[in-house]
Amino acid sequence: MGKNHKNLLNNLEELRRSAGLTQKDLSERAGVSRKSINAIENGVYVPSTVLALKISKILKCKVEDIFLLPN
Amino acid sequence: MTHMKRSLLVFTSGATQIFFALYVLLKIANINIIQLPSEAMFIPGIIIFLASGYLTASYYFGDKKNNSALYDEYTAIRYYKLGAIGYAINGIGIFLIFSTQDYANWSLQTANTMIYQIASFAWLIFGVLLVCFSIGDFKEARNG
Repeated sequence: MGKNHKNLLNNLEELRRSAGLTQKDLSERAGVSRKSINAIENGVYVPSTVLALKISKILKCKVEDIFLLPN
Repeated sequence: MTHMKRSLLVFTSGATQIFFALYVLLKIANINIIQLPSEAMFIPGIIIFLASGYLTASYYFGDKKNNSALYDEYTAIRYYKLGAIGYAINGIGIFLIFSTQDYANWSLQTANTMIYQIASFAWLIFGVLLVCFSIGDFKEARNG
């Protein structure tokens, strides 16, 4: 797990790197700014359901593999 | 529209607002560093009008893919937070301006000065917010 938001743990950076994508690549495919991806990875921002689903679709994994509620 | 273009547009608008707001504030305080013709006071309004018109047109008629990144949810929240800070500062500032008036010697002249103080203060905060927004866009353009 990377840096986390207090309400949401995330594994986005690791999964993105595994998929061979840069933040820029992922942001373009998800239709958001690179800053959004960076903010999610650094636990600054909790994405909307739509964005979380888009990211999971791009990374070909379940939303729960990327995001997890803390305990 | 791109992040860099928007950054330049918004920065130009913000910097112009700051310049003219400071000019008015200094003038109220009887500090005359430079003297501008009164017609020059239309410049910030015209710039804001043109910039906001261009931004609105690009939002509704521009490239959808670019716009989804330009106006994404994180950007919206960042702008909302900055806007909220601006409102708070404006509120406190206007409250202070109201509180520090000499109502015992109230006249049309002092009322006029207070209106200038409120307008230029709000204008200054608005300009600073625009510059803050533009810095975010510039970073996105540079690192993105």
